[in-house]
Amino acid sequence: MEPNLGTIARSISIRPNREETGLESLQFREEIHRLMIVPPENGSSFTALLELPETQAMELLHSPHSDKGVTVPLSGVPLHGINDDHKSYLPSFNGNLTFPSNKVLIERAAKFSVFASGEHSPETSSVPSDSSANLEKVKSEPADTDSNPNSSQLLVSDPTVNIKNQRSEKRKEREKKGKGCTKKTKIEISQDAEKLPYVHVRARRGQATDSHSLAERARREKINARMKLLQELVPGCSKISGTALVLDEIINHVQSLQRQVELLSMRLASVNPRIDFNLDSLFAPESGSLVDSNFSSMVSPLLWPEIPFNGNRQQHQQQWNFDALHRPLWGREEDSHTFITMENSLLSYDSANSASLHSNQLKMEL
Amino acid sequence: MIPKGVSLNPNSRKTRFARRFICALSQMRNPRPVSSSNEEEVRKRSHKIKIAAYLSMARAVGSRRAWSRALLFKLRTRARRHNIMIGRRSLCLKKKRVIKNDPLGELSQTNKLRHLVPGGKTMDMCSLLEETAHFVTCLATQVKVMQTIADHFAK
Repeated sequence: MEPNLGTIARSISIRPNREETGLESLQFREEIHRLMIVPPENGSSFTALLELPETQAMELLHSPHSDKGVTVPLSGVPLHGINDDHKSYLPSFNGNLTFPSNKVLIERAAKFSVFASGEHSPETSSVPSDSSANLEKVKSEPADTDSNPNSSQLLVSDPTVNIKNQRSEKRKEREKKGKGCTKKTKIEISQDAEKLPYVHVRARRGQATDSHSLAERARREKINARMKLLQELVPGCSKISGTALVLDEIINHVQSLQRQVELLSMRLASVNPRIDFNLDSLFAPESGSLVDSNFSSMVSPLLWPEIPFNGNRQQHQQQWNFDALHRPLWGREEDSHTFITMENSLLSYDSANSASLHSNQLKMEL
Repeated sequence: MIPKGVSLNPNSRKTRFARRFICALSQMRNPRPVSSSNEEEVRKRSHKIKIAAYLSMARAVGSRRAWSRALLFKLRTRARRHNIMIGRRSLCLKKKRVIKNDPLGELSQTNKLRHLVPGGKTMDMCSLLEETAHFVTCLATQVKVMQTIADHFAK
C-alpha cells in the first residue's frame, strides 16, 4: 500500500512516472518545467557522454521529455515501458541511467536549479515547507547488472540544499522497486544521513546503506555505463553479456585494429617508394609542363571518393585556376580511353609531376 | 564539377589526421632505386610509417584526451632517446621492455587493456574505459584513412 502523500514526487526523476497530486503536483510540474529550460548541449553525442557524465546527468535530468511523464501508480507500473521511454529519448545512452552520487553532481544540480528558475527560487524554497518538492534531489537508476534491467531508483540529495523537512520527506518519499512491480514501498534512510552533511542516498531494499557500499555502487554504475557505451562501439559486442567476455571482445578488437595498422604500414612501405610527392607542390602554382589532358583524365578515376575531402577541393580549384585550365576539370569523363592515357602519362612523367598529380588524386579520394 | 553529396567537414578529425599523415609520408625520404625489397629496409620503413601514423593521429586529437597525451609523450621521449643514441653512435640500446610478470602467469583483462591503450597504466577503471572508447574510434578512422591511401597507391 502506498502512502497517499507518497504520491508526491520528491525529486526530479528521469523516469517519467512521477506521482503528483493536486496543487503540489502543479507547482512541482512548473518547477520541473522551469528546470528543463536548460537544454542539453550535445546530449546525444557519444564523446560528450563520456566526457561529461555529470553534466550529462544533469541534461538528462532536464530533458524535456521527462515532462511527458504519466502519473502511473506504482503498483501497476510496467517498468519495462519506462525504460523504453528512456531509450526513446536517450538514443545514445541505452538502458539504464546512472548518476554518480557525488557532491559535484548535486552542486551542479543546485546550480542549475538556481539558474533555471531564478525568480522562482523563493517559491522553490517555500515549497519544501510544504514538504512537497525538493528539486535538488535527483533520482538515479543504477544500472546494476545483477538486477533486472528495470532498475529501481536511488534518491540522492544534497543536504546543503535539502534542509527543511527531511523527516517529512522521509515519510513521503518512496522507494521504487526494481524487480518487477511491487506493491510495497519501503523507505530506508540511514539514520546517520539525516544528521550528518553527507550525500543522502536512498538505498534499495535489502542493500547496505553505509557510505562505502554506496560509493562502491556509484562507481560500479559509472563503470557499467562506460561498458555499455563501449559495447555499442565494438561491433558484435552488444549481444554478449557479462563483463569478462565483453572486455575480451574489446581487447580483441583493439588488437585487431592495431594489427591492421601495422599491415597497412607495411603495405605503404612497400608501395611508397614508387611515389614521392610533396604537398607543397600542390599549393604552389603548377608548372606549365603538366599536360592538360592528363589533368582532366586524372580527375575521372578518382571521382568515387570513399572519404571525401571537401576542404582541399577548394584549394584544388584555386590551384587549377592558377594553371589557367579553363575546362570543367572535375567533370566526369569516364572513357576508358582517358584511363589508358592516364596510365601512360603516369609512367612517362618524371617523379615530381606524377607525384603531385597523385597527391591531387589522393586528396580527392580522401 | 565537384561531386555532390560528398562533403566532409574540413576540420574533422579524419581530415586532420589525413593531412598530417600524408605530410609525414611525403617527408619520408625513400632511397632510390626503389623497391629494393630488402627485408630490413622494408621493415624499418614500415615501422617509421607506423610511428608516423600514430603520431599524426595523436596530434590530430590534440592534448584533449589522456591517451593522446601519453602517446605523444612516449613518442617524443623515444625520438629523443633515439637521436641521442645516434649522436653517441651507440645503437646498443635496443633492449626490449620487460613486461611485468603477472603472478598468475597471464595478464588479466584489465591489465591487457592497460597495455594496449597508451597511458592506461595509471588510469583507474572508469577513465580507462572512457579512453578505450575514444581510442577505438580514433583507431578506426586511422585504419580507414590508411586503407584509402594504400588502395590509392596500389592502383
